[in-house]
Amino acid sequence: MAPRPLARVAVAGLAAVALLGSAACGSGFDDSSEGTAQSSGPASLQILIGSSGDAETKAVQDAAAKWAGESGNTATVTPAQDLTQQLGQGLAGGTPPDVFYVDAAQFADYASVGALEPYGDKISNTGDFYESLRTAFTYDGKLYCAPKDFSTLALQINTDLWTKAGLTDADIPTTWDQLTATAQKIKAKGQVPLALGDTRDRVGAFMVQNGGWLMSEDGKQPTADTPENLAALQYVKDLVTKGLAQYPKQLDAGWSGEAFGRGKAVMTIEGNWIKGALQNDFPNVKYQVVPLPAGPKGPGTLSFTQCWGIAAKSKYKEQAIKFVEAMTAGEQQMAFARAFGVMPSRQSVHDQYVSAFPADKPFIDGVEYAQGPVNAPKMDSVLRDLEAGLQALSTGDPKTILANFDKNAKAALGD
Amino acid sequence: MATEAPAARVVVRGGAPRRRGRGTRSSENLAGWLFVAPVVAILGLFLLLPILMALWVSLTDWNGQGSPFTRNVPFVGVENYTRLFAEDGLARRDLMTSLRNNIYYVGIVVPAQTILALGLALVVNNRMLKGKGFFRSAFYFPSVTSSVAISVVFLFLFANSGAVNKLLSLFGVAGPQWFADSRGVLHLLLGALGVDDPPAALTGGGPFGLSWWEWLSGPSVAMVSIITLVVWTTSGTFMLMFLAALQNVPVTLDEASTLDGAGRWQRLRYVTLPMIRPTMFLVVTLGLIGSWQVFDQVYVMSQGDPAKTTLTPAYLSYRTAFREFDYGSGAAISFVLFLIIIVLTLIQRRVMADRDPVARRRGRWRRRVPEGS
Amino acid sequence: MAVLTDRPPVAAKPARRRRARRSLVSRVLGYATLIFFGLVFLYPFVIQLGNSFKTEPDAAANPLSPIPDPLTLAGFERIFAGTNFPLWLGNSLLVTVLVTVGRVFFDSLAGYALARLRFRGRSWLFAMVVAVMAVPPVVLLIPKFLVLNQLGIYNSYSGLIVPLLADAAGVFIMKQFFESIPVSVEEAARIDGASVFRTFWSVVLPMAKPALITLTILSFQGSWNEFPHSLVAVQDPDLFTLPRGLADLVSGSLGKGSQYPLKLGAALLATIPVAIIFVVFQRYFVRDANDGSDKG
Repeated sequence: MAPRPLARVAVAGLAAVALLGSAACGSGFDDSSEGTAQSSGPASLQILIGSSGDAETKAVQDAAAKWAGESGNTATVTPAQDLTQQLGQGLAGGTPPDVFYVDAAQFADYASVGALEPYGDKISNTGDFYESLRTAFTYDGKLYCAPKDFSTLALQINTDLWTKAGLTDADIPTTWDQLTATAQKIKAKGQVPLALGDTRDRVGAFMVQNGGWLMSEDGKQPTADTPENLAALQYVKDLVTKGLAQYPKQLDAGWSGEAFGRGKAVMTIEGNWIKGALQNDFPNVKYQVVPLPAGPKGPGTLSFTQCWGIAAKSKYKEQAIKFVEAMTAGEQQMAFARAFGVMPSRQSVHDQYVSAFPADKPFIDGVEYAQGPVNAPKMDSVLRDLEAGLQALSTGDPKTILANFDKNAKAALGD
Repeated sequence: MATEAPAARVVVRGGAPRRRGRGTRSSENLAGWLFVAPVVAILGLFLLLPILMALWVSLTDWNGQGSPFTRNVPFVGVENYTRLFAEDGLARRDLMTSLRNNIYYVGIVVPAQTILALGLALVVNNRMLKGKGFFRSAFYFPSVTSSVAISVVFLFLFANSGAVNKLLSLFGVAGPQWFADSRGVLHLLLGALGVDDPPAALTGGGPFGLSWWEWLSGPSVAMVSIITLVVWTTSGTFMLMFLAALQNVPVTLDEASTLDGAGRWQRLRYVTLPMIRPTMFLVVTLGLIGSWQVFDQVYVMSQGDPAKTTLTPAYLSYRTAFREFDYGSGAAISFVLFLIIIVLTLIQRRVMADRDPVARRRGRWRRRVPEGS
Repeated sequence: MAVLTDRPPVAAKPARRRRARRSLVSRVLGYATLIFFGLVFLYPFVIQLGNSFKTEPDAAANPLSPIPDPLTLAGFERIFAGTNFPLWLGNSLLVTVLVTVGRVFFDSLAGYALARLRFRGRSWLFAMVVAVMAVPPVVLLIPKFLVLNQLGIYNSYSGLIVPLLADAAGVFIMKQFFESIPVSVEEAARIDGASVFRTFWSVVLPMAKPALITLTILSFQGSWNEFPHSLVAVQDPDLFTLPRGLADLVSGSLGKGSQYPLKLGAALLATIPVAIIFVVFQRYFVRDANDGSDKG
């Protein structure tokens, strides 16, 4: 394009924009820094959940309908395809759902920007929640939201394939060495021994078993680059490069549970959500759950939890709190547990849960030695970078991956 | 606001209405603006205004809460930009990784689709063949389908036990685990030559926080499958453009050169290609512009994985803003991408114009429709 | 294209025979090339069609085969029972129809004004339209989100539709076309006292049928396939269009496994409308691509 029209266009563009801009200002969403105006009376609550599948969606929808019917409100439960993104756009758009799942790993991001209503003091009997779960949702000394439930990782074994590989109960691995030995036996029979998710949420368990973790105990300092973590990653790298463990994508699966359900791997490391998923998608798979093999420094697993977040911009906070109250009642938690296999966040129903689901003992027992997620704000891209490193672990250098994490985390936590 | 426009100097092309009385002209003035008003409003509101808004956001630390246009939003100047280029950190690493990926992507997609499109056009233009219409449509069809739908099909084709690997196994080749394979193709080639460990000289350092070894990885195996998809979908459009140009090559010229005893290759090299040079330029430029914008396929097929080797600047900006809520940084990446595309277009234009005085004199291609792919 | 090596001429044979044989060889090679690439470009669709009627284990075991064994509609049943496909389809239809009508009308209005009406600022407006065409759509993702937010139409049908109601390329096409129509016809109408709009509507527009059809098809195809805009314009699943729904079906965090027959089937259904339009109006598609090199 010749220079003259270009300059003309620039002038014209600026003029047009100035005109339109002045017209556009003033409209748009309100930006009240004060609390949002509250509506009393019957509320129409929008609830956004990150569902693990149809079972969970249906269970929450049923529970919400029941609550709505009894309280005279309406409650619409929407399963998010991509919770983080939908919630992010909803918050930025000033139209967030009233109630939504908040993952412990992202909790600090939301809390630090004031997106969440800190309603912890308005919910009954908060002392009943496990302390580690309360800690996960506390920011600046305030409990922001009520823990929904929690889960831990354990080892699942496909019993049919296990027998087919000529293995017995004696082969169930309880240490890293045994894990390697058993895996080699399975591989010798031409099967894939272990389906392992290529994320920190699976690989991290090995760090815990070796006495390490990504962050210091107070969650303020990155501690990835330690000999313990290095040895743990080196061990996982060995498993992966020798073909003793395979990532889900290598097995044509979206996640390890799917690969396990299809019988593409004899073992996998997943949380208690795998129960519901297998029941739904692969009801014929026979499997047993055992604790994760202990590392050199003892047993270790990871725990995950989500809470019922309430938007600071919600117009129905009072009703939303009542809704959460109903959802976190002991009885309701047991109903959820029966429907889609999560573990109640209230200690008061612990015994009830154990007696109802004795097979879940390895999951519940995990609480004793479980490590919670990293929950500092602004860590998402850092953790993502770590995962990119883990995805390429078979060709990457564990030391570099860990050192990068520390460097990036320090930068992210610094500002 | 249009008063400064030097309307008088403009040479009106085509059949412009003749001048009439004053009244008619002023009514035409009004009608003209009324006619263009909807388009001006929509393009202004949803194209120009957003660009300015994003420019502002890229200078702030807006975290996605409330409006970005209030005093509470921290203004950080060019910090988002300096973080992308000058500071050794994750932001720069990510951007550079995505640029590296996209450079390899462009470096393969543009030549491949241009050559394939030209080849197809030459075959379809062959006067001796029948049924060309059918094949022309067949080659073009992928271009009109939805990028998302096609990505779904290619996810299936490139699955580990998918059609492509099945096909390869027919020839005794064990196909890779496409979307799980983050290894760079150049690294693999070097590995085949026995260079398994990177030479120390290349790992020590490199520009912008990536080591030379990382810069020289080549596209990852996962990226190769996206490249295949894109070449497959875009070649048809460009084939039609070449076809139109080829049909303008006078038959007599072709025949004359045949009688002169010129071989096929020579005819192509010395007769056909020079004749269709403007189209060649158009195809390469549109290819360059389009392939820096790759987004849909990455979103659907790989989301930047494995190990960030399919991360592109377009997807990175989206992810930074909408998944990490760092809208300032995301907008800044958008502008970097914007700049790359504009600069490339200008450079390309200058180079081709200097090398091709005929095209410059005719200036035909200057106002052509650039359709984003 | 095949590069043939010329054999050394054999003195005994007349040149004509030699040329005839050479043209036969090149014809065979030409057809071989056509058929090979025909397969490359069409077989993926055949695979898609075949596998959408397969069972999951069959699709995983025989991905290359186009014939389902056994044939099952389970994938399609799940599309309609297990996903929001009907809703996405409805939204896509609504968006596509409104956007197509809007683009055809607004673009031809503007195209006509830029081609025929003399008003102040016309030249720079046209230059601006050309400049706007060069703005790469993907860099507008965040900007568009911001403006929709600010205007309060984020996450609504208006946000999904209004920004797409005009496009610079369409204005450009219409302007080029109107300039090719002789002026005399309009002049006659004007002298008869018809208003500008009336002249445009009843005299000029009917003559612009070929361009209008081209623009309709382009708009239909563009808005039916539009993905990035819906990504930043809405987040409510009730407002998802087909490409958006499809993308989330594939990449979403539902963890439902690969389900290839279902996904391929959904992608197939999303492709069919454009495929039909393509087959029926082929020459207009071709014409559009050629516009790029013919006009200017």
